[in-house]
Amino acid sequence: MALFPSSLATATALGYVALVCYAVSTGFYVAYLRRPRPAFGWTATGLAAAGAVMNLESLYARSAALHSVPYRDLVGSMALLGFFLAVISLLLEIRHRDRSLGPYLMPVVFLFLMVALLVPSSRTPPAPELKGAIFAFHVTLNMLAYAALAVACALSALYLVAGRALKGGKSLTTDGAASRLPSLRYLERANRTSLGVGVLASTCGFLLGVTWALRVWRPDHPSWALDPKIISVALILAFYWTVLVRAHRGAAPSTTARLSVLGFGLVIVSYTAINLFVSRLHAFYR
Amino acid sequence: MSSALVFLGWNHRATPLDLRERLAFSPERAREALEGLFREKVFSEGVIISTCNRAEIYGLTELEDGLTPLSQFLARFHGVDETLLLSTALSGRGDVTVRHLFEVASGLDSMVLGEAQILGQVREAHRRASEARTARTVTNRLFQAAIECGKRVRTETELGSKPTSVPGIALTLTGRIFESLAGCRVLLLGAGETVELTASLLVDAGVGDILFCNRSPEKATALAAKANGRTLPWEDRVSAFATVDIVLSATSSSEPVVRAEPVKKLLMHRSRRGPLLVLDLAVPRDIEPEVGDLPDVYRYDLDSLGALAKKNTADRQAEVPKAAVIVDESVRKFEEWLAGLSHVDVVKGLRGKLEELRLAELERYAGKMGKLGPDERELVQRITESLVAKILHGPTVGLKEGDPSERLERAAAVRALFRLDRLDGDKK
Repeated sequence: MALFPSSLATATALGYVALVCYAVSTGFYVAYLRRPRPAFGWTATGLAAAGAVMNLESLYARSAALHSVPYRDLVGSMALLGFFLAVISLLLEIRHRDRSLGPYLMPVVFLFLMVALLVPSSRTPPAPELKGAIFAFHVTLNMLAYAALAVACALSALYLVAGRALKGGKSLTTDGAASRLPSLRYLERANRTSLGVGVLASTCGFLLGVTWALRVWRPDHPSWALDPKIISVALILAFYWTVLVRAHRGAAPSTTARLSVLGFGLVIVSYTAINLFVSRLHAFYR
Repeated sequence: MSSALVFLGWNHRATPLDLRERLAFSPERAREALEGLFREKVFSEGVIISTCNRAEIYGLTELEDGLTPLSQFLARFHGVDETLLLSTALSGRGDVTVRHLFEVASGLDSMVLGEAQILGQVREAHRRASEARTARTVTNRLFQAAIECGKRVRTETELGSKPTSVPGIALTLTGRIFESLAGCRVLLLGAGETVELTASLLVDAGVGDILFCNRSPEKATALAAKANGRTLPWEDRVSAFATVDIVLSATSSSEPVVRAEPVKKLLMHRSRRGPLLVLDLAVPRDIEPEVGDLPDVYRYDLDSLGALAKKNTADRQAEVPKAAVIVDESVRKFEEWLAGLSHVDVVKGLRGKLEELRLAELERYAGKMGKLGPDERELVQRITESLVAKILHGPTVGLKEGDPSERLERAAAVRALFRLDRLDGDKK
């Protein structure tokens, strides 16, 4: 239920409140990393949660004002992605009882929302096909998957950096930037959690997309399943499932980390290059 | 006044361990010693710091040469020849005492430069002396200032931030691999003193699953019983790498007991998820160095840990000038406070303050007094002057009465009650 009146101005105002919450939360997370006082930690978490609530309210106000899903353009997509990143960051914090990821993830959340607030909003009405609950869930779950896989990619990169710093040799130190990173085991566990969320959300989103496509295209577009975007997503999904299963069976964490970074690279290619230049049937907004 | 602060002590730099052991004070003995020094009028205030690396006594004395009776008393108290006692003693008067204590509290005088434990020991010594009421005005302030100085050195410099011992470094690296040891499974190879000590540390850290593996199983069984762990046949030592998080090896074998090749094959089918930490604390090494090249295996031996210890010690040494500046500032501040406690200064300050108030009030009523004749105005002047003199009489006499500690206590109280420090500060 909306707490604020529905208008684009309200959505923007709430977005800025969320932005401030994320910014101050980042400050407290960094302060907590340097000096782990419980008050800093709780304040950081509280502000991140408040930011996420405001972010969600902003999306809701935008949706109501547009009479459409809020992520019909880049502004809404980025704001939704920021929201999901904040939620995943909080979930990992609660699940693993560790705040050491906050200083790294909250700035990314802040960045996504800031870009969303600065980019001009699209005035074009949505295509008639882009409506209905199945479509809404399809996009929402895929956004959640992108956020989770982005977090997994970030965690993997941190794992590789921290692991390299700890490998020994002459560069081994007990201080420096790498010593402030979360522990390897935590990064490895959090990476598996994020991959799990991302793969499940992506699978559900994909299946809902297929269901929706069957309704929208039949019988005029029988070849929708051969669209490069659909094929690339299916392949990426299969790749991620393999990585996830291997990780749970005890594959070397550094290999999982490298594959996770590679996987997100493929997601970016699919989301941008394939979506914009190759796909024909999936890009409704053109 | 600062010349009355003295210290006499024995520390790790000059005094051998056997003599330090004889000169150590238990809390009860420290109290006894201070009471004896009070009885013999050597000290009017005092605090004793006694740790495994030092036994030092700090106090306030009114005697011209307070150190001689102090050393004579301590020779009798400990039953040690005074010549032997003085041969390795450190001592000082006035600001030397203040500086020494501040350096001790900062970790600058510690065996391991910058170690943090000493600050807690100084705080504890002060707490005990305060409870026994042997620490009073000056020594209370001295120790509070020393603790403050020690805290500043720790927060404003990197003097104590990097571990310098091999176990400390191993623990730091472990913390960067595992956020907590609680859920870890540990394999210990060997059954010597290092393994025994490590096992007890692991139990204290909450490790619930420790595997002991040794050539002679009896020793491993005995250690496992002590640490509530399990034993493993010597032949299974390599295969265990697949199921543990940490391996610590400290056998007396003359050649490696774990080769890289079998570990490499084994790690391809590792059932335990996450990184593997391998600590090789044996000389010669127990585990082939190539094990450390395997993915997700973090191997450290005494060479790598020792090199890091050396580097961190050098880094700490580089922080000494920064710490020395903080000690200088703290000593100067304390000396200023102490100088302000002299009887003459306090009376002078109080007189100045009251005179200032008197003149301010006369100024305030100058308009109304304009109606008075010259004789009447003169009378008002004399009345206010007399009033100030009468008010001053009590404190002036009181500040000279009682034992030295009481006099200092009153001086500090007068300074605080009449806010004479603020007055000094304003003037500056």
